[in-house]
Amino acid sequence: MKEIILSVKDLKVRFFTRRGTVRAVDGISFDLLKGECLCLVGESGCGKTVTALSILGLIDSPPGKIVRGEILYDGLDLTKCPAERLRHIRGKEIAMIFQDAQSALNPVFTIGDQIVEQIRLHLEVSQQGARDRAIGLLKEVGIPSPGEVAGYYPHQLSGGMKQRAMIAMSLSCDPQLLIADEPTTAVDVTIKAQIIEILRRLKESRKMSIIFITHELGIVSEIGDRIVVMYAGRVAETAPASELLKNPKHPYTSGLIKCLPDITQAKERLESIPGTVPSLDNPPGGCLFNPRCNRAMAICRKEQPPPVKVNKEHSVFCHLY
Amino acid sequence: MTKKRLNKLVGRVGGIKNLVLTPLASLWLLTLLLDIFTPGKIFSPLGYLYIAIGIVVLIYVVWPLYKSRRLVNYYWQRVKKNKLAVVGLGFILFLILLALLGPLFTADPTAVNFEEKNIPPVGFSVEESVYHAETGQFITKTASGTWGHPLGTDNKGRDLLAMLVSGAGVSLQVGLLATGIAVALGTLIGVVSAYLGGKVDNILMRFTDIMMTFPFFLLLVFIVFIFGPSLAFIVLVIGLTGWTGTARLIRSETLSLRTREFILAAKALGASDGRIVLAHLVPNVISLIVVIATLSIPGVILAEAALSFIGLGDPSVTSWGMILRAGQQSLDVTWWVAVVPGVMLFLTVLAFNFVGDGLRDAFDPRSNV
Repeated sequence: MKEIILSVKDLKVRFFTRRGTVRAVDGISFDLLKGECLCLVGESGCGKTVTALSILGLIDSPPGKIVRGEILYDGLDLTKCPAERLRHIRGKEIAMIFQDAQSALNPVFTIGDQIVEQIRLHLEVSQQGARDRAIGLLKEVGIPSPGEVAGYYPHQLSGGMKQRAMIAMSLSCDPQLLIADEPTTAVDVTIKAQIIEILRRLKESRKMSIIFITHELGIVSEIGDRIVVMYAGRVAETAPASELLKNPKHPYTSGLIKCLPDITQAKERLESIPGTVPSLDNPPGGCLFNPRCNRAMAICRKEQPPPVKVNKEHSVFCHLY
Repeated sequence: MTKKRLNKLVGRVGGIKNLVLTPLASLWLLTLLLDIFTPGKIFSPLGYLYIAIGIVVLIYVVWPLYKSRRLVNYYWQRVKKNKLAVVGLGFILFLILLALLGPLFTADPTAVNFEEKNIPPVGFSVEESVYHAETGQFITKTASGTWGHPLGTDNKGRDLLAMLVSGAGVSLQVGLLATGIAVALGTLIGVVSAYLGGKVDNILMRFTDIMMTFPFFLLLVFIVFIFGPSLAFIVLVIGLTGWTGTARLIRSETLSLRTREFILAAKALGASDGRIVLAHLVPNVISLIVVIATLSIPGVILAEAALSFIGLGDPSVTSWGMILRAGQQSLDVTWWVAVVPGVMLFLTVLAFNFVGDGLRDAFDPRSNV
């Protein structure tokens, strides 16, 4: 049995806006093991990023608030952790990389300066020591002539290089846990493959845990050990990656998998799930997926489905089982 | 070995910048304390402001500019395309040299000599009625300019060139110091207000509104009345009341910056609020700050001149406003006394405005000239 590094229990995040309360995350739970890559999968607006930001305590308050649940990291509840303590955890123990590296890097400083700043924020090293370390990190994420690149400003680098620099920056203090928020969305296919490869290698060499947020199931099969499928702020299904892709139980999951284009078969039209994600300030009753589900029953409109264990590691929130 | 030790020291203090800043600041504090506890004054209050701002400029302007020479060169290429800005920059440099080196070559600007009063500038001559004691009649005498007083003298025989040089120093001091205080305050209030938002933003901006409606002239008259006229007070009052416009501009710029992802990324990587304000937000509005500062210097210079002109200036220093005041009383005879400082004020204000415009165009990525 592997050690659990992060445990999210019944997390509920609400945004209190002028138009009403938005239930961005509505009671999700999952455990992350040491050295494991957990994928959070779901459509836009299903609460993936909010979950990630909650872990780091970066939900803007007001309007957002964690109303329930706990996030246990190393036995410490991050939702109740004092701000100063949390600040030292951010970046040092839990680091995050963002979707758009272009806007996630400060445009007025060189890549090297930004990484050095990050290192010296958390570790007691000299300027030169930090610089050497920064160049080493740039090399580790596969940037050619890292010494030169360290002196470049973000706008002088290509999208893929920027994303790698961002990864190098987040790795600078040897975090235990890396949260990657759609790091491959803003880059093209070849770079995407490279980024995945880098993350996979880092996971192996550093024994690092990764929470990988994405909406592409194709990527999940390449990097994920376990998958949590989210729908409208709730967990729909959770299972080991290979099992989930082969044997999806939830209608939403199987819908998502059918949406994947398959180049071995010539199809006229790509499948899609009808309808849109329900608005989270006025959700439908019962199972949130029922308006779009082709196997919906009467009970689906009345009751929220309880978790059903398919096997030891596979559970699904659906009335069908 | 020595380098290693230096590196260790730098590592402890946090950057070469702080290594220089810490001793300079403590030196400044030490002289200030010495000055307070010993009867003989070493510097005037203005001297302290000067040294303090000098340290800040050295650390936060000169050193970063030196470090990013490539960028400076890039912007210089862009500024260079605006000929008026280059001319303006030349004039400002000339003014600085005049104020720094001029006093070494000119006479005492306050030395009164009634033997040589009302001499016109070189190349001009005026006719003057002089009372002749023996005949008891007025006779007409022609006075022409001499190289002894290139710009002539006023009705008390003070050398106009010397007064002008002294006035240049005063104008620059007031302009730079008051703008420095105002812009620093405005930037801090603007950035903090926009970054923290909510209640803090509301309170700070309402305070700014109140400050905007406050008549600073009245405050100045009041302070002069209580403490007596002193250049240091004038600088402080202009600086402490003139930050409002800057605060608003910086706030609106920061509002769009703070929603950018790199601020969230900095937070996610563990940066504190103070660090985000100073190390991430301020450097991103620095170009705006430079432009605002350059464009607000002429206003401050004119404000000081206006104060001296109506007699609220520091009587112990010769400023351009004061020469103007002396000149307007005898505009019919000694016209040059008012014209010369007037022209200098005009040119100075124009030069700063040209440079400000040039910098604004150079920093604006949309105006790719």
